Amino acid sequence: MCRWTRRTWFAGVLLFAGACSGPRKSRQLEIAFVIKALDSEFWLRVKNGAEAAARTAPEVKLTVLAPEREINIDQQVTILEDQIVKRVAALAVAPAGVWEVIPVLDKAKAAGIPVLIADTDVPWASKRGFIGIDNRLGGKLAGAYVVNAIAGHGKVAVIGGIPGVATHEARIAGFLEEIGKVPGIECVAVQPANSERATGMAVMENVLTLHRDLRAVFATNDQMALGALEAIAAKRRTGQIVLVGFDAGRETLRAVQSGALSAVIAQHPERIGWETVRAAIQAAKRNPVAAWVDTGTAVVTRDNVARFLQ
Amino acid sequence: MKAAAQTVPFPQVPRLTGAAVLRRFGPLLGLVVLCGVFGGLSEPFRTGENAVNVLRQSAVNALLALGQMVVILTAGIDVSVGSILGLCCVLAALLLKAGVPAVLSILAALAAGAALGAVNGVLLTKLRLPHPFIPTLGMMNVARGLALVMAGGLPISDLPVRFRVWGAGTVAGLPVPVIVVGLCYVLGHVFLTRTTPGRDLYAIGGNARAALLCGVPVDSRLILAYGFSGLTAGIAAVVLAGRMNSGFPLAGSGAELDSIAAVILGGGSFFGGVGTAAGTLAGALIMAVLRNGLNLLNVSAYWQTVMIGVAIVVTVWIDMLRQKAANR
Repeated sequence: MCRWTRRTWFAGVLLFAGACSGPRKSRQLEIAFVIKALDSEFWLRVKNGAEAAARTAPEVKLTVLAPEREINIDQQVTILEDQIVKRVAALAVAPAGVWEVIPVLDKAKAAGIPVLIADTDVPWASKRGFIGIDNRLGGKLAGAYVVNAIAGHGKVAVIGGIPGVATHEARIAGFLEEIGKVPGIECVAVQPANSERATGMAVMENVLTLHRDLRAVFATNDQMALGALEAIAAKRRTGQIVLVGFDAGRETLRAVQSGALSAVIAQHPERIGWETVRAAIQAAKRNPVAAWVDTGTAVVTRDNVARFLQ
Repeated sequence: MKAAAQTVPFPQVPRLTGAAVLRRFGPLLGLVVLCGVFGGLSEPFRTGENAVNVLRQSAVNALLALGQMVVILTAGIDVSVGSILGLCCVLAALLLKAGVPAVLSILAALAAGAALGAVNGVLLTKLRLPHPFIPTLGMMNVARGLALVMAGGLPISDLPVRFRVWGAGTVAGLPVPVIVVGLCYVLGHVFLTRTTPGRDLYAIGGNARAALLCGVPVDSRLILAYGFSGLTAGIAAVVLAGRMNSGFPLAGSGAELDSIAAVILGGGSFFGGVGTAAGTLAGALIMAVLRNGLNLLNVSAYWQTVMIGVAIVVTVWIDMLRQKAANR
């Protein structure tokens, strides 16, 4: 009996693997886009944009892959190694760890594969281009909005992403630079919440307990902003605290529309995906690629949210 | 005492019935079949470069799984290995940044790993905590927290080359981590099959009370087992930090579950007393091949996780059927 079950298992593996392999040969230009995760609207929209760009070029076969969670940096490195073995025509990466991916990027270079960096820039000289926003500028926009909204005085707090992740650090730095110009504003806390909603809520609860007179909060991504929103709502202070998020997913935009969230710094994830794949196609064809494609940011408030919700 | 330990029947030298052959070579058979399937489906899978990649990718989990297997052998479990790995990564990186020579930093990481593991064993045996899950769950949180405190939450990157060779170097075409794994498994195998403390672990896992009555020093053997698990986590930390060129405090999050999965896929049993080094290595390789092959076939990480989950449940289920058949 046991022999049969074992056989059944292997047959299952065979079937599954067979189903996955499908008809996927005879395309000339294979491009891999390895992103940080696929567990949020932001990354799903990046993927959609990337796939839309791939559809414009029939000779291109695009694969979008990601580790299970953003913190699984070693899994991302493994995925990159496997794509290098496949000798893809071009490799695009949104690195989960800025320093940690550099050794594997060197391997790609040694294999003659052009590499593009998306979303989070990497201090690696051999990249063909970077596609993403100026995160520092995004942070400064948030800072300027907060300064204006609290009329230049009061306590503010920052909820950040996984410590050491360059995009979040740049957003925080830009924000602090902007509020640092105003002597009446005091930043009472800069705490990480790992880009996660539940952690964002917990951090916000703690900050609110310590600082009852807090006037504004900047969360460096949407999920943490939404978590903070819950914490503020639980204290029945919705609308009294200026709350600014980053990324502008649909849920956040609706919160802006309802007034629960004051503002959000919008990125255009589809554009990041689209421009990355367009650049990767050019790099794969050995054509020149722009060193930096700025995909742009915008401040979304109640006044202009309708345009973004379309 | 020695004689007493040796009267305990050895699971790894059973009568070679069909079922026993399956138990012994099942993981290896699974690995071979898996390689055959992926080799047929994917051209890049068949390259030597990819084989080297798989070995390199499996190294960290294989090291953790070796320690985990020794603990599971005693009917225990160690959920702290991922966090100990993270802490040792940070410790080694901090020492290197402080100018400590590579060899000393590595030794410090190994010592720290072994010491934290031994603390698990001491908590289990001396505080008489009811189940190994509890001290190691505590250690899982303590070590992760300490890693974050020590690193200030930030990854410590750009490590010296003399350290990095342990994770990224090659000797005669073979990645250094693979050689490290090979050495550790040979030593682990010898320890478990040829030394009294190693054999005692099988006796404890088979029946702890009987082992105690036979004169096996159960407590010190358990401390040894958990210390060994911590040590392999320390070795894995050196390999991982070298490979990634960074000691990051969140390194190894969830790695404890992967190591347990490798042990189970490799024929280990939660009831204790069953498991071999070779089987565990095959288990770790099965996981690495599964992930690598599915990566090459462009299957998303989520489906890979589903596959590994299914493989674990099916493997254990087959094992249960086998035991039922054997007991009949």
